[in-house]
Amino acid sequence: MPVKKRGMKKSVSFSDDETLTRVRQSNDKKHNASPDGPPVYVKKTVHTVPLHLVGLLYYFIKLSDSYDCVTLLYLLVPLQIAYLALQFNRNTVYGHKVLKLRLSLVPISLGAALILTIPCMLIIILLGAPIAMLLQKTWLLAAHCCFLGLPAVYSVFNCNFKVGIFKKYFVAIAVGCWISCVVIPLDWDRDWQEWPTPLVVGAYLGAFVGYTVGPYI
Amino acid sequence: MLGIEAHRGTMSSVDATDETRVKKSIMNSSIEDKRLHWSRLHRFKTTHRLYIYLMGSLAILQIIAIAFFSKGFLLTRNVLENVSTESHYEPKFSKCVILVIDALRFDFTIPVDTDYVSYDANFHNNFDVFHPNEDSQSSLLLKFIADPPTTTLQRLKGLTTGSLPTFIDAGSNFDGSVIEEDNLILQMFRNNKTVYFAGDDTWDALFSPFLSPSSRPFESLNVWDLDTVDNGVMSFFDEHLLSENSNTNGWDVLIGHMLGIDHVGHKYGPGHFTMREKQLQANAFIKRICDKIDEETLFIVMGDHGMDHTGNHGGDSKAELEAALWLYSKKPKMWKHMTSSNYNTSDLGEEYRQVNQIDLVPTLSLLLGLPIPFNNLGWPIDEVATTTDELKAYNNITLNQIRDYKEVSKVITDSTKDERLQELWSKSLLDISVGSEYQKYFLESCKDLWARFDYWSIATGIALLTASLLLLIIVTKLIPSIVIGQMVSEFVPSITIMSLVSNVCFNGIFHVLHQPVFLENWIWCTLFATAIGIIVGCFITIFDRYNVAWISRKFVEDLSDYWSRIAALFITLHALLFTSNSFTIWEDKIVSFFLATLGMLTLYEFMFLPKRRLTTALLTAAMGEKKPSPLGKAHLASEAESSPFGKFARIVGGYHSIVLVVCTRLSSMITICREEQGEYCTPTFTTANNYSYWCLTLCLVVVAFLPSCLRGYYNVCSSYQAAAPIWIGQFLRYVLLTNFCYWTICALENTIPGWSWDAKILKLTISRIVAGFSLIAANVGWMMGPLCVKLNIHNTDVKSQQATILGYANVYGAQFFLLVINFFMCIMLFNKPLAQISLFLMCNQLLSILEIFDLLKLKDNLIGPVTMGLLAYQQFFATGHQATIPAVQWDVGFVLTERIKFPFTHLGIVMNTFGPHIIVALSVALLTLWKQPPTVLKPQTLLARIVSNCGMLLIYNTVLCLSSFVWVTHFRRHLMVWKIFCPRFMFAGLSLIVIQVVITLVTIAFASGRLIRQINNLFWN
Repeated sequence: MPVKKRGMKKSVSFSDDETLTRVRQSNDKKHNASPDGPPVYVKKTVHTVPLHLVGLLYYFIKLSDSYDCVTLLYLLVPLQIAYLALQFNRNTVYGHKVLKLRLSLVPISLGAALILTIPCMLIIILLGAPIAMLLQKTWLLAAHCCFLGLPAVYSVFNCNFKVGIFKKYFVAIAVGCWISCVVIPLDWDRDWQEWPTPLVVGAYLGAFVGYTVGPYI
Repeated sequence: MLGIEAHRGTMSSVDATDETRVKKSIMNSSIEDKRLHWSRLHRFKTTHRLYIYLMGSLAILQIIAIAFFSKGFLLTRNVLENVSTESHYEPKFSKCVILVIDALRFDFTIPVDTDYVSYDANFHNNFDVFHPNEDSQSSLLLKFIADPPTTTLQRLKGLTTGSLPTFIDAGSNFDGSVIEEDNLILQMFRNNKTVYFAGDDTWDALFSPFLSPSSRPFESLNVWDLDTVDNGVMSFFDEHLLSENSNTNGWDVLIGHMLGIDHVGHKYGPGHFTMREKQLQANAFIKRICDKIDEETLFIVMGDHGMDHTGNHGGDSKAELEAALWLYSKKPKMWKHMTSSNYNTSDLGEEYRQVNQIDLVPTLSLLLGLPIPFNNLGWPIDEVATTTDELKAYNNITLNQIRDYKEVSKVITDSTKDERLQELWSKSLLDISVGSEYQKYFLESCKDLWARFDYWSIATGIALLTASLLLLIIVTKLIPSIVIGQMVSEFVPSITIMSLVSNVCFNGIFHVLHQPVFLENWIWCTLFATAIGIIVGCFITIFDRYNVAWISRKFVEDLSDYWSRIAALFITLHALLFTSNSFTIWEDKIVSFFLATLGMLTLYEFMFLPKRRLTTALLTAAMGEKKPSPLGKAHLASEAESSPFGKFARIVGGYHSIVLVVCTRLSSMITICREEQGEYCTPTFTTANNYSYWCLTLCLVVVAFLPSCLRGYYNVCSSYQAAAPIWIGQFLRYVLLTNFCYWTICALENTIPGWSWDAKILKLTISRIVAGFSLIAANVGWMMGPLCVKLNIHNTDVKSQQATILGYANVYGAQFFLLVINFFMCIMLFNKPLAQISLFLMCNQLLSILEIFDLLKLKDNLIGPVTMGLLAYQQFFATGHQATIPAVQWDVGFVLTERIKFPFTHLGIVMNTFGPHIIVALSVALLTLWKQPPTVLKPQTLLARIVSNCGMLLIYNTVLCLSSFVWVTHFRRHLMVWKIFCPRFMFAGLSLIVIQVVITLVTIAFASGRLIRQINNLFWN
């Protein structure tokens, strides 16, 4: 979800309305994609599968003490950086070559992700989260969402906001959260139905699916 | 924003200075043109009439479907008219005083520790007459469990017949007719006891032949009147029992039914100071009766039901079911109390001994020596038997009566149940204490059975509704609206002929062969035949031109674009909510979540402009806009037209999306929680909040702010001209102000304890002025055709006579919205202050939705009507409603009149309950009309598109209704069916009917035709 804030600043893709803006569109396409392959894309390999998210989920559901979001967040951040450095960045192609990880950008994108938690939290509240109560937990959820998007945030920074293809990763996380809301109203009285546990799980699943199939769509 | 869009609005220039001259110049143009114009107008009129007929028949079809389903699902119990005759037992009392205190909840009557969590001095510890004291031996207090539904009529039936109510009775709470079954009052009458009655006139409706003519019934349903009934009961008791020279020989049974406490509950909720006053008054009254009665008289005080935390009742929550029963006698040792642990009053009497309400029937019969009513299913209360032998005798008599009933009624058809009962019966012959088990088992079996359904009618209802859904989809969505415009002339005769033919066939068969049986009588047969006729008539016409393959291909094709899929997804998800009680309970939150999600999706759309496959609808909409050659348009505006997503449009669209999301979130904070939502929901729509100062202040802000908001939306197309300032700046503003005065007076009456000034007349005057103005005067005014355009002559050069028409771009929408405002004003009157704030937000949401879908060029897409439908549901919940019977705000029925009077009371309740649905059903036409400049589309095309949008809203609601039908049938044995699924299905059916009626009669028949004709007369070229 935080992608919405980000994209607003620098998004360059205009309408793709084919009949009405044919001229424009061809201009736009130069940024995004050209017939012989997009300048920025993620390789279609199994190397981008974020296995650490599965591990984290397993820890969160089975091992952690009453679904401890805080510890999970502490574990998530380094693992996401590792994932970015070892898997995601290595498979991202910028204009026919793979760039090395720019270390200076990592803290910047970490900070950006942290700042993004505020608009993200706002969106969650607008979609119906309680306003005053459970604010801390809502923020934790927002933090999870944003740090799950960290590789995408980094890549957006890395190509100077010129590419829109990383949107889908944020969308995947948001959709994961959205779908997972389905269990909240059920009257099963399970402790995992407590706010925000199902949404955290949903976000992880969404991110897992997103990073896995992201290159293909 | 204004400046740029205003240019868009100045597309047409005409050589004239005023409207009449425009018209004249057009009329005088040429004979040929004139003839063309008239023939076109004539064609439009004919088509319009045919459209009304087509939509009307679809509406009739749906109403018939709903009627059939309801007939099958909401069954009434088979009533036996047998009357018991024998009485075997010596009476213990010769006379009896019964005082029913409506909504006397159990915790009102027991001592409550002042430190207890939910202690409230307004309703606890006021009835000290019931508290244990040295006189305790002469009295007996019991928890009295009602059978749901907890409405007074059903409770009175239960309390006198000893039988169980069925759900449909709850609906007939307003027109109770004389009870046909054997009952206590009938038995009293037959055994020559004179029954005097005073109080709630429901008694008079139910028992009038058996009551003494000296009885004094009072109007009962005016919940705003707290004192009339109570004072009447007290003066009646004064006359016949309490005062020195009263005549106590005239009666054998004296019954009083007081309503004060119930009405305080409805009007203010239990936690209000007037509750304390009424309780203390009743307490003193009971004490006086206790002092006055003699030893031969039995005195019974009871509540017919409780009340929930809001003071309402009707459902089956614990607080609604738990009433109190108190028996008192001056004869010593009449009651054999059990061990004191049975009467534990701690924890609001959680552990206190309880009896069923129907248990009173055999108990009272035995105490007064009457035969037990034939249909009774209750069991005598143990405490009234002073010795073991007596208890055995009592149980024996009751057991025999229940056994008789079982044998005669043959209700038990299940053989295993029957065997089990036989077994219990033979056991209880040996040991009478098993008898109560027999009674319990029999009672449970009966409860199961009386929820038996008429599956033929249910299936018919579902089938007819499915057919109507298919027809709606095909007629309003799949077949291109232009083609439908030509086809209506084929539909109408076909429908008429087929209805007639099928009526003749079915009625003939039914009359001669009495088949099919489930139709019962010729009325149902006619309805069934008409429905079949409509279906066949429509399908014949459709299959004349199309085939199934084409229709299914078109169906898939229509769902091939992104937004239609989103819309279909939301329809499906909303319909799937009824698959689980949890989702149905939380529908309010889920619906606002959906609407906010839609807002987020459009926001995303405006920000990122993702690649979407262009739909044909989108293309035609965009092409349609391009047709008129723009004259002297600003560069930016032309750019905005060639690309629907110019930078400016994107910002505007983003802004409207944010308005939609924020307003949705804000209004969803207003909620009256369902009882099932429990601790997870805090009600904000409470009496205290509604009449609080901050809420009234907010209402005043709304009065000041709403006209300015609307003005802002009008100014986008510079349509705030001519009629608009009068309507919005004057009418709306002053009506809202008057309305605010009305609710302020209500609030003052509510909050100031010593309020003595009688504002009844003033309030009625205000409310009638507002309702009369908004519903009649304003609508008549609208029929005159208030245009929102103005000629702006910006050439000083006299010769050229160039004029610009301000508000040209939105000439349809601006005028149509004035009609919405008329209804909006009326709906505001019938809503409580917090709901008024929510409706204010609704106006903003509605107009933002219109702007969004105009910008996205999705005027003909499914998404528009679906968003509107979601808005209606979201606002239904945000105006303090829930899909339950206790949540209906009955008290607004008395805004226009003091007592129940058709149609004013009903109008109030309908406007209150279905207000958002009515507004949406009206404004769905705006999806087409908003920002639709004249002379682009032909009148017929415009009408066809309006019908198409209306049809899509109907499709959405029909799907919901059908889903609730199917799932309520599926869950018919579910524990929660009467509490959750059944009210939801009734709500779905009613809202579909309301939307159908409003769309067919007002939106299509009244408004669209007149508006399109007028504008085309003016701007025809």
